[in-house]
Amino acid sequence: MAKAKEKYSKELLLDIYEVMNEIRRFEETALKFFNENKLRGSVHLCLGQEAVSAAVIGLMRDEDYITSTHRGHGHGIAKSRDLKSAFAELMGKETGFCHGRGGSMHICDLSKGNLGANAIVGGGLPIATGGAFAQKYRGTDNMTVSFFGDGASNQGTFHEAINMAAIWKLPVVFVCENNRYGLTTPYQTTTAVEDIADRAVGYAIPGYAIDGNDVLAILDTFAKCQERARKGEGPSLIECKTYRWKGHWTGDPEVYRTREEVASWVAKDPIPRFRAYLIENGYATDKDLDEIEERAAKDVAEAAQFALDSPEPDPAHVMDGMYVEGGFPL
Amino acid sequence: MAQKVIMPKQGLQMTEGTILEWLIKEGQEVKAGEPLFEMETDKLTITIDADVSGTLLKIIAGEGAVVPITETIAVVGTPGENISEFLTGESSCQTETKATEEANTEAVPKSVSAESTSAPIVRKEGERILISPRAKKLAEELGLDYSTIAGSGAEGMIIERDVVKAKDTAPKATPLAKKVAEIEGVDLKSVTGTGARGKIRRGDLEASQSKGAAFITSPAERKIVPMRGMRKVIAERMKQSQNENAQTSHTISVRMDEAKRVREALEKAVGFNDIVSFAVVRALTDFPAMNSQIVPEGIWEKEFVNLGIAVAVDDGLIVPVVKDADLMSLREFSAAAKELAGKARDGKLTSDEYSGGTFTVSNLGMFGLDSFVAIINPPEAGILAVGKIEDTPVAVNGAVEIHPVMKLTLSYDHRIVDGAPAAQFLAKIKEYLENPYKLL
Amino acid sequence: MSKKTYAIAIRDVLREEMRKDPDIFVMGEDIGVQGGIFGCTRDMLKEFGEKRIIQTPISENSFVGLGVGAASVGLRPVIELMYMDFIYLAMDQVLNQAAKMRYMFGGKVKVPLVVRGQQGIGRGNAGQHSQSVEALLMNIPGIKVVCPSTPADAAGLLRTAIRDDNPVVFIEHKALYSTKGEVPDDPEFAIPFGKANLVREGKDVTLLGNFLYHGKALEAADILEKEGISVEVMDPRTLVPLDIDSIVASVKKTGHLVTVHEAHRTMGWGTEVAAAVTEKAFGYLDAPPVRIGAKMCTLPFNLGLENAVVPQVEDIVAGVKQSLSL
Repeated sequence: MAKAKEKYSKELLLDIYEVMNEIRRFEETALKFFNENKLRGSVHLCLGQEAVSAAVIGLMRDEDYITSTHRGHGHGIAKSRDLKSAFAELMGKETGFCHGRGGSMHICDLSKGNLGANAIVGGGLPIATGGAFAQKYRGTDNMTVSFFGDGASNQGTFHEAINMAAIWKLPVVFVCENNRYGLTTPYQTTTAVEDIADRAVGYAIPGYAIDGNDVLAILDTFAKCQERARKGEGPSLIECKTYRWKGHWTGDPEVYRTREEVASWVAKDPIPRFRAYLIENGYATDKDLDEIEERAAKDVAEAAQFALDSPEPDPAHVMDGMYVEGGFPL
Repeated sequence: MAQKVIMPKQGLQMTEGTILEWLIKEGQEVKAGEPLFEMETDKLTITIDADVSGTLLKIIAGEGAVVPITETIAVVGTPGENISEFLTGESSCQTETKATEEANTEAVPKSVSAESTSAPIVRKEGERILISPRAKKLAEELGLDYSTIAGSGAEGMIIERDVVKAKDTAPKATPLAKKVAEIEGVDLKSVTGTGARGKIRRGDLEASQSKGAAFITSPAERKIVPMRGMRKVIAERMKQSQNENAQTSHTISVRMDEAKRVREALEKAVGFNDIVSFAVVRALTDFPAMNSQIVPEGIWEKEFVNLGIAVAVDDGLIVPVVKDADLMSLREFSAAAKELAGKARDGKLTSDEYSGGTFTVSNLGMFGLDSFVAIINPPEAGILAVGKIEDTPVAVNGAVEIHPVMKLTLSYDHRIVDGAPAAQFLAKIKEYLENPYKLL
Repeated sequence: MSKKTYAIAIRDVLREEMRKDPDIFVMGEDIGVQGGIFGCTRDMLKEFGEKRIIQTPISENSFVGLGVGAASVGLRPVIELMYMDFIYLAMDQVLNQAAKMRYMFGGKVKVPLVVRGQQGIGRGNAGQHSQSVEALLMNIPGIKVVCPSTPADAAGLLRTAIRDDNPVVFIEHKALYSTKGEVPDDPEFAIPFGKANLVREGKDVTLLGNFLYHGKALEAADILEKEGISVEVMDPRTLVPLDIDSIVASVKKTGHLVTVHEAHRTMGWGTEVAAAVTEKAFGYLDAPPVRIGAKMCTLPFNLGLENAVVPQVEDIVAGVKQSLSL
């Protein structure tokens, strides 16, 4: 593991550790609720990918923007730190981020700079570019991160948005979480290059392929790209190699991969790796970290209970939110 | 080679004609230029001469047939000729919808005829009645039974205009009479109304019932006089007049002693009606507002007087027009009026002779009417209704004297003329008639 | 009042609004030095500079998406599509993103985005540059659809569009750009959405047309007037929101509805109007509504063929007579 003691504060690192644990518990609880038939819809879990959300967003300000994906619980939790609103939205409750109108795939919180999770693969890249455009237009040094997967890297918007960000030097970092599968389709069968990061050359911007389960590697790489963005030097592309432990969605029979392959990636669990780093480098004791884990578990359990206890949205107000004037103006 | 005889177009507005009588029978010889048949349009009755000579091989449209213009009505040729080509296809009285490739609108079957008919029809029992929602609503509001209304919309659908027509011809009855008629199954059309303006009252129903079942006919047995030709035109014009004008009227009494004297002096070469009409002509030149018409730009005060004189004919009335009457003397006027009246009674008026009037005089004195109110003949501004001349006790210098008196009633369009000038106009006519020498 | 072309009316409103509100920027293809291929941004680069007049790569989906993102954080982008046909390339951002963002996010986001551009026939642009897109857009809740037919409508409706906090697709017509008309000089002149334009009063039939068919409906009305038929001509102006109340009121008066548009007849806006009028005024109809629109045919290059696909004035006259059973 990279030595980074000088660069990152203890508070930042412990906070990242707490967020990783919150995401882990949140996803486990979501899966349990789904299996108990307390949730409806598609629930895309990011178990095993917690390091990317927690580390990248750990370095961001509230005024910085993100766009997220259908696998967006981790991004939303890290950016807002509001487990209750997130879980309530997962359950479609009135108290959720989107008052039950968005659900798992559309967690959004503009007050904390989350321009929304997007259920169209590649749909968020142009929107992130727009967020970055506005930051530059207004003369701020804020920046934007667009999270997307290996699948989105083969959408036209990947090319269009990165190219526009590059020609206009927009303050955006494109963060690809390459978890190796687009639903059932292996990454190698859809993508000619080994590293998606290599495509950065085509836009004359920096590109980095890194271990997406290594918090410190993510922090180091992202910090460079973020600085470049804040200075107005333009976008960067970071490819975080990672893996989703669970299927594409809850209930995926996972016929496209072996148990052995999954087990080999579970062995690379980013949480114990980061825990070991924190202890080895004297940031925390086992007891400190146990306390953080217990707090995360407790907060998630409370959030889940809050969601369970929350009221359903009133169907009489189903049209609320369509237009600014309310309803449909026909 | 056989040749067809067609229903000839006789005027700009003519779309169809009725065959009244074939003057040559099938198999008889006909010579070009000789009368072949008599027909009637909505305006006139006319004898049509043959165009070609030969034998009248076939009469396709018999007497009473209503035929669209240019349709074949008969075939003239040499006996034994094959005339089958004339008997199919072209002889159809229905106009075929042109089957164009409708580009942008879906082709909807066109109605057989755009003309709305007011004659009631009889539908088969259980036959589906196509009626537009708007027409149905109107029929229900008017309390009309739409099952007997003929439809003029697409696929024979009853549309608004059909209901409006039916309303105008439906018998008027009190609500009670309607109800009783419905319960008893009495057809109101078979009942003569004795109420105001012929409104049928309950008593009328009972009267008709007591005369026995013969008076209650089934729809199929009724004698229906078709609303066509002149009757239809009159109906439309009168309704239009009532709808579009602001009609009101004044009446005045005129002593006719002097007019009588003048007539005697002229050895009765002129009629009373001519004198009255001519007084109107003069009064119109004095009051151009009464000789006017509303046009889009405003009121057109006409620079000429064309006086219409209503003439009753067998199946209606017609109004021949004395053109440029303001340029005539009384004698000239009288001669012109007499000639036109004769033509009118013979059904020989040309369209030019019954159109273009600027004011009309209608005289029903010969039927014993004291006075009556006439309906304006649009687009004219007024009409004068002339009653009979009757010896009447009149107070003269404190004593009662008997004098011939006539009542004139002026109907005028209040949109154009107000009450006071209309009264002055009427007084002017009175002045001319009581001092007729001014007319000479 | 000033007499100006439809294109200049649009340019002037863009300019006036940009002077008032620094959050407005204009983005699109070839809008810089040349001012757009139809001149709707002529001379604007000089005044506002490259910061606010941004000429893009040919990446419709992503620069519309950029507009969605910028709008969601408070800017007021006006995104120009060179041809409305290209909105299909950007359909994900229009349909899945701009239209849905506010609702999916619980009503917490405003997306004050204008996507504008021209469509239609008239320049021999053939199948991929002559289409009418409004009908498809009408079926997407979350956006507004605006169709100006005159320079004044273009000006008044564009100002309302720019000031609207919802995503608005503002559809112009290429064959109208050079048409001239009086436009109010009032820098606040705005026409509210959802108010149909009663172009001509009549009593026998209600005839709705927009874009080129605003004018052609009037031509047809002139012809019909000579035959004694009194035609009430209306232009819906905005399709979402649609002023169905005014249309229904007119049909209640006339009993007859005819719609005409350049867009394809099947599922065109006339279909929606016909259905809505039938629902709301069935008892007042004296004939089924008549819909007139382009054949279900790709727009051809050849002028004669193009004319054969889109409705002609004679078709409108025939449609009115069909409605009246004449």
